[in-house]
Amino acid sequence: MLVGIPLEDRQKTVNSKECADSLSAQLVLVAEQRSKPAFAALFNHFAPRLRSYALKQIGNEALAMELVQDTMSKVWQKSHLFNADKGSPSTWIFTIARNIRFDMLRKLQNRKEDICSDDLWPVLCEQTADVNEISIDEKVTLEQVGGLFANLPRKQQVVIEAIYIDGKSQQEVATELDIPLGTVKSRTRLALIRLKEMLKDHD
Amino acid sequence: MIKNHPSLEQLRAYVDGTLGSCDSLVIAAHCDMCEKCQAEVAQLTEVLASESLSLKNELSDQPRYSSMIESILQLPELPQENAIVENVSIELDGREFVLPPSLRRYASVTGSWSKLVGKLWQAPVNIGGTGKANFIFMEKGGSVPEHTHKGRETTLVINGEFSDGMNTYKSGDFIYLNDTHTHSPLSNHEDGCLVFSIIDEPLHFTSGVARLLNPFSHLFF
Repeated sequence: MLVGIPLEDRQKTVNSKECADSLSAQLVLVAEQRSKPAFAALFNHFAPRLRSYALKQIGNEALAMELVQDTMSKVWQKSHLFNADKGSPSTWIFTIARNIRFDMLRKLQNRKEDICSDDLWPVLCEQTADVNEISIDEKVTLEQVGGLFANLPRKQQVVIEAIYIDGKSQQEVATELDIPLGTVKSRTRLALIRLKEMLKDHD
Repeated sequence: MIKNHPSLEQLRAYVDGTLGSCDSLVIAAHCDMCEKCQAEVAQLTEVLASESLSLKNELSDQPRYSSMIESILQLPELPQENAIVENVSIELDGREFVLPPSLRRYASVTGSWSKLVGKLWQAPVNIGGTGKANFIFMEKGGSVPEHTHKGRETTLVINGEFSDGMNTYKSGDFIYLNDTHTHSPLSNHEDGCLVFSIIDEPLHFTSGVARLLNPFSHLFF
C-alpha cells in the first residue's frame, strides 16, 4: 500500500521553519482525515530520528525500535491532540517519546514508585477545559456572541451549538455527526478564533 | 510572588526525563503554580526536542520500517478519554485545600491526618517505592524541631507560609534540601501552612529533646 515512499529524508534541504509548517500540516491531515500518506511522510521524517534518540538513551536496538513503534503509534492514534499553537510537531513528538522512554526505564529499573510519565507530563491528556478557558478569558456573553454567531459557516455553528449550548462533549458531537473527533476539534477552534476576531472588530 | 524555584539543571533534567520520579513530581506541581518555570520548561522542551530529534549523527544502517508503518496504520483512532479526577482538594479539620493538578491523583492515596508534636499535622501519601511523601500542615505557631536530612527533601508550599530561620517560603515555593542543610521550620502565618514533601531518607534531629526522637524518626516522618 505504501510502497514507493522513499525513506530518505527529503526535508533536509528545506529550512526548518518551512519544515515544521509542512510537518504540522501533515499532522492536521492525519487528525482530520486519517490520511495515510500524510502519516507515512511523518513516519519517514521522525522514525530514524526517534531511533537515533532511543539508541543514545537506551542503547538497545530492540528497545529502541519498540520506542519508535510506540511513539509513532501514539502519533497515529492521538493526532487530534496536537495543537500547533502550543508548539511544533517535533516538540510534541519528542515529549511523547520522552514519556514512553521514562516509563520504559522505570520498568527496567524495577522502580516501585507509582509515579508515571502521565502524572509528570500530561502530554496526551485530553484538555477539555481548553476551549472553555478562551470564552472565560474573553468574558464573552452569549448575547454579545449571538449576533456574530450567524456569520459563522453552518458546519461550525452546528458544532459550537452542540458543545456550548447543549453542553455535549466533543466526542459526543463527533459520534452524533459521524465525523472524526479531530474535525470537531478543529471546527471548534476555527469557530472560536473567528468569533474572537469578529469581537475584536466589533469593539 | 514565588521566590524559590528549582535550579536550571533540575528543570533541564526534569524535561529530559532523567530526574528521579519523586523530585520530578514536586517540580511538576511547582510548575502548575509557577508561570515562570512553566515558560522555562516550555523553552527547554523545545530546545531539547530539536537537539534530540536532529539527525546529526545519522545512522547508515537504517532498518526497514515498512512492516512497522503497516501495523501502526491498522490501529484505530483512540476515543477521547476524559481524565476522571475525583478529588481536586484535600481536607483538614473542615478546611479545604485545592491541590495543584499534578498532585490531585494522589489525593485518593492520601492517608488520614495524624497530629504530631508542636501543632503539626501529617498525612502520608502512598506513592510506593522508597521515597516518603507527606502532606504536612503547620498550624499558626507550629514548628518542626531543628533537623538535618540524611537524604534529600523536596518540598512544595501549597498554602500559607512558613520560615525556617534561613528564608520565608510562600505558596508555590519550591525547596530542595540535602544533608548539608539544618533547619527548623516554623509557621507564624494566620492560615498556618500546608506543604507537600518527599523525603528519601528519615530526618536526623540535631537539637535538644528532639535529639531523643532520632531513633524513632522513622515513625515521625
